[in-house]
Amino acid sequence: MSELIELEEKPLEPDHGMREEIRSISDSVRARRVARSRIMVALCGVALFIAAVPLVALLYQLFDKGLSQIHWKFFTTLPMTPTLVSPNATGGISNAIVGTIALTIYASILAIPVGVLVGVYLAETDSKLATSLRVVSQTMAGAPSILMGLFAFSFLVHDLNIGFTAIAGSFALAVLMLPVIIISTEIAVRNVPNSLREAGLALGAKPHKVSLKVVLPSSITGIVTGCILAISRAVGETAPVLLVIGGGFTNSWQPFDPVSAMPLAIFENAKSEWPSQRAQVWGIALVLVIFVFILSLTARIWASRKQQVRN
Amino acid sequence: MEQEIEIMTEIKSETTQVVTPAVRGPVAMQLTNVAVAFHGRVAVRDCTFDVAKNRVTSLIGPSGSGKTTLLRALNRLHDLTPGAKVTGSISLEGTDIYRGNLTVTELRTRVGMVFQRPNPFPTMSIYDNVVSGLRFNGIKKKSLLDESAEASLRSAALWDSVSSRLKVAASNLSGGEQQRLCIARALALDPEVLLMDEPTSALDPIATLHIEELMKTLKERVTVVIVTHNMQQAARISDDCAFLLMGEDRAGELIEFDTTEKIFNNPDDSRTLDYTLGRFG
Repeated sequence: MSELIELEEKPLEPDHGMREEIRSISDSVRARRVARSRIMVALCGVALFIAAVPLVALLYQLFDKGLSQIHWKFFTTLPMTPTLVSPNATGGISNAIVGTIALTIYASILAIPVGVLVGVYLAETDSKLATSLRVVSQTMAGAPSILMGLFAFSFLVHDLNIGFTAIAGSFALAVLMLPVIIISTEIAVRNVPNSLREAGLALGAKPHKVSLKVVLPSSITGIVTGCILAISRAVGETAPVLLVIGGGFTNSWQPFDPVSAMPLAIFENAKSEWPSQRAQVWGIALVLVIFVFILSLTARIWASRKQQVRN
Repeated sequence: MEQEIEIMTEIKSETTQVVTPAVRGPVAMQLTNVAVAFHGRVAVRDCTFDVAKNRVTSLIGPSGSGKTTLLRALNRLHDLTPGAKVTGSISLEGTDIYRGNLTVTELRTRVGMVFQRPNPFPTMSIYDNVVSGLRFNGIKKKSLLDESAEASLRSAALWDSVSSRLKVAASNLSGGEQQRLCIARALALDPEVLLMDEPTSALDPIATLHIEELMKTLKERVTVVIVTHNMQQAARISDDCAFLLMGEDRAGELIEFDTTEKIFNNPDDSRTLDYTLGRFG
């Protein structure tokens, strides 16, 4: 009762002095926060600048030294070895371009079906096998890529005696691509809402049919994006192919021929005693970077367009 | 005084008119002591009642009373949930669905389901959605699929609005249309029982009305079991009603099962009356 009276006795008019005081405090607090925010933004800007410097420098050097190397014949002719008479006759890199594309296609054929199926399996089941497969693929994702090359060399080239061939390189690249595909597929499949699985099961579909006909089509965007990223990683890898593809000097699409590849051509030319061949390295590197850039751009455009359709 | 007596007799005559289980007709599904537990924790128990053929049976009760859990036991949807265990017996036309010689896929073609949120397959067209159940079960003949698609869409009162755009993605439909598509998809398998888990809770009032109208015609060809939060809906559309309530140990249990008329007018249990009158829940 006494409380009630006290409440009634309180002035109904707001206390202006108090309000002023609160406002002045909040003003100073706000000013401090604004200042702190500006400092943080400035620090972020500095960090961004530091991070961008090497990237910009790299791209600048790449275009500066690479663009002059690129001309039509660079893409269409085979490499030549310079001689004392014509020290600048380096030829083109058609064999390396053909080799890279062939290696990538064969590696994709080997890795994508297996990787996607394993990824779906990991996402859709909870068995011990799935858990161990997941651990293996995650470990493999971090394994040094030269290991794949060594493995392909000792197993395919040496033990099975298939020789230095495109297929040996593709195998090494496929092993490299597998974990990327498996992990991205698993994530994409897990993102499919459970209500769709239940809808399929409630229609009397067997679980594997639900996985193939409902879940897989619903997660195809993520899976394709993951595959393209795996491909663009494989395209630029040197170590796995270094030991096994044999560095062929012809434009061969045959899986059992020795082939070249752009990363390998960079590696070999960089060691050359001819300045003209060393200069050519930048041209190859530029082509390779553009290649990878187009691939990852495709992945991004694909992913965002599919997202829009879904929404 | 005379008036009072008249009212009394009126009420009396009403109560005597209550349909007894025998009048409800043949049984589609029989539940005996059904309980569902997850990792040993009971979610719902003591459920014993008959689902009568060609009638709408509603499961009502507050949140956590185990309505949806019970419903999902009727087409064995708990099978894939790790740690889930269904005890007691549930039979469909006299065959125990858990222990009898009925495969789970066959059961699910005979007991269809419509979910709380419309869940058409987003990558499929309207047509492909409707016939997906048939395709999952190995039916490929085009003429049969076409025929079934039209019949099912007509039954779901959707044919007139979608017949000209069957190849359009199902995600282009409105929420209410999507839910009717899901009903059509379930009907395409010509099930005996249709389970509906709060089928209108994600829909606006007009779409809800459409679905309710639809259910009244659907029961001529299919037995309907519907979970609903909405008591007016249960009163409007169902013939029989099961009232579930969460017990002291947080497990849902069946309090009362009877005709909807009795549950809403003069239930045996005071808790049922309290709930239907909106005193709690």
